[in-house]
Amino acid sequence: MRLLLVEDNERFAALLKRGLSAAGFVVDVLATADDAAAALRTSRFEIVVLDLGLPDADGLEVLTEMRRRGDPTPVLILTARGGLKDRVTGLQSGADDYLVKPFALEELIARLQALLRRPGSLLGVALKLGNVTLDTVARQLFVGDQPIFFSPREIAVLEHLLRRSGRVVAKTFLEDNLYGLSQEVGSNAVEVYVHRLRRHLAEVGASVQIHTLRGVGYLIAAEK
Amino acid sequence: MWRFRSVVSRIIALHLLAIVVTSICMPLALYMMLDYAAQELHHRALREQAAQILPYLDRRPDGALQLSLPSALAEFYSEAYGRAAFAVLDPDGRVLFSSLSGNRAITRTRPLTTPFEYFAQHRDNTDIYGVTVTADIGGQPLMVQVSEDLAHRDVLIDDIVAEFFTRVGWITAPILLLLLVIDVIIFRRVLRPIIAASALAEGIGPTRTELRLPEEGMPQEVLPLVHAVNHALDRLEEGFRGQREFTADAAHELRTPLAILRTQIDMIDDPELAQSLRNDIESMSRLVNQLLEMAELETFVIGDGEVADLAAIATEVAAYIAPLALSQGKTVAVTGPRRSAPVRGNTDTLGRAVRNLVENALAHTAPRTTVEISVGALGTLSVADHGPGVPITEREQIFRRFWRRDRRRAGSAGLGLSIVSRIIEMHGATMTVEDRPGGGAIFSIRFPDVIEGPATNTHQLETAF
Repeated sequence: MRLLLVEDNERFAALLKRGLSAAGFVVDVLATADDAAAALRTSRFEIVVLDLGLPDADGLEVLTEMRRRGDPTPVLILTARGGLKDRVTGLQSGADDYLVKPFALEELIARLQALLRRPGSLLGVALKLGNVTLDTVARQLFVGDQPIFFSPREIAVLEHLLRRSGRVVAKTFLEDNLYGLSQEVGSNAVEVYVHRLRRHLAEVGASVQIHTLRGVGYLIAAEK
Repeated sequence: MWRFRSVVSRIIALHLLAIVVTSICMPLALYMMLDYAAQELHHRALREQAAQILPYLDRRPDGALQLSLPSALAEFYSEAYGRAAFAVLDPDGRVLFSSLSGNRAITRTRPLTTPFEYFAQHRDNTDIYGVTVTADIGGQPLMVQVSEDLAHRDVLIDDIVAEFFTRVGWITAPILLLLLVIDVIIFRRVLRPIIAASALAEGIGPTRTELRLPEEGMPQEVLPLVHAVNHALDRLEEGFRGQREFTADAAHELRTPLAILRTQIDMIDDPELAQSLRNDIESMSRLVNQLLEMAELETFVIGDGEVADLAAIATEVAAYIAPLALSQGKTVAVTGPRRSAPVRGNTDTLGRAVRNLVENALAHTAPRTTVEISVGALGTLSVADHGPGVPITEREQIFRRFWRRDRRRAGSAGLGLSIVSRIIEMHGATMTVEDRPGGGAIFSIRFPDVIEGPATNTHQLETAF
């Protein structure tokens, strides 16, 4: 998978390139906003990792130009600026995700993979966690190699959780996404589905666990 | 002494006083001047009447004087007409000619030392007024008296004087009032740019340092003040920007090497060494983050009308912390009614405060227990843990910078709670630490006033903090 890394710190760029290459990415490194913008105009990348603090311009300018051109390539922003305002600006400029330095290489790779699995992306239609695999196109669930049949609602809940595995999915998000706006949602409908899904996963021997965070939402993680 | 605060009202008051004084004094002065002028005219008319008679006095060849008035004049002085009278006397006071019956003088008179002399007399129930003038006819000195009945005076000028107040005098006050109105309008126009600038200045604050007072249309007298204020604002903005830039640069300079180090550690093959180094770099990163947060707070000011939803903050912080909590075999929960709890404040900094409280609670709560964030309806948020609690003697100290109960414990510099305390203070809120019934500590934040706001749904978890 071809990845463009825009980072001006040579050592950091080299390290990231090594780590990302080990994870299977084909990495091109550029150090300035000008070079990055030029490369993005002429070549196609599957994903872009963009540092905001570039020597010639703010990385956001590269992103803004991409989006103005209608370039849909997913962009993950790296920033040393931790303020919420900076992050919101980044997301509003069309970034798909961001990481604040310093971060775990593992986290960066996981985020990049999650971005590549997004609907609209051609690659990575299969969501994997532990021994669970969900084919999001065929809507088919596998535990190990065994195909498992769950109800469409349960598959939908599982898909939302797997797309953000290791992170919390708000209960309100599930409510709004599982039911149309016109439908009346029972106050505990989501709880019932998650409860059922958890039981069914245990029954088929899945090595994943759905954690309930009371008043917040749910988080799926591989069993330790 | 009572003083006017507004320039316009001061002008109006002084102007009104001037109007009162002027509308009394000016008509009086005008009346007196007019009256004097009228009297002058009257005197001159009388003297002219006397002089009119003189050409008709002749000295006959026998030396005796002869008066032959034309009929028009004779009629004017006739007793039947009664309005005017004349008498011609010799210097000894003997009457030579008179329009009065019995050939009387109009008034007794002594020889004159001046060319003329006025007299007033009450006679036959009428007031008369006249003049005696001296004359010389053919070498003989004479005195001519002319008088007029004041009751029958039909001189136009007298009417004007008499009716001055009712006809003319009153106009002063309205004219002055009209001037006052014009003055007020002019002043309002002049003050308009200043009022507009004041409204603009209202919005200037640490969050909006780019605003400047407009100099266009500003009265020249006020311009120096506007210049001075704008220059002061320039310097303030410079200071704020310098501080903010320093914080941003420091963040970049500190975090990039940490990121390099972190990535290098992630590539170490020895998992035990990698983990131990990772722990070190994590506490280092935490310290850097907290120091940068403290620096950011130095220049941070809550914007006007900023509203933060405590309920949204609670769920976002919980979602952010959840993976860390679960990795330690602990969990977080948000309790309380599921509706928005808006307070006046900044979402970002309040989120940091709550995050620091939750991180602190997570560090102290026992394994397999829950850290509970609870949002009350009346602008309260509390974080409860199942840890050892905070002894009463330490409840003040824990909010000091770099305070730690156990200096040997790694991963904490003791800045978290002092950041919380600073943010809470900035918001005018209060924080208390209590024992949780059944063991543990409860940190509670209480906002002074509750505001009404629309309900918000939190979908985007983990956006910040």
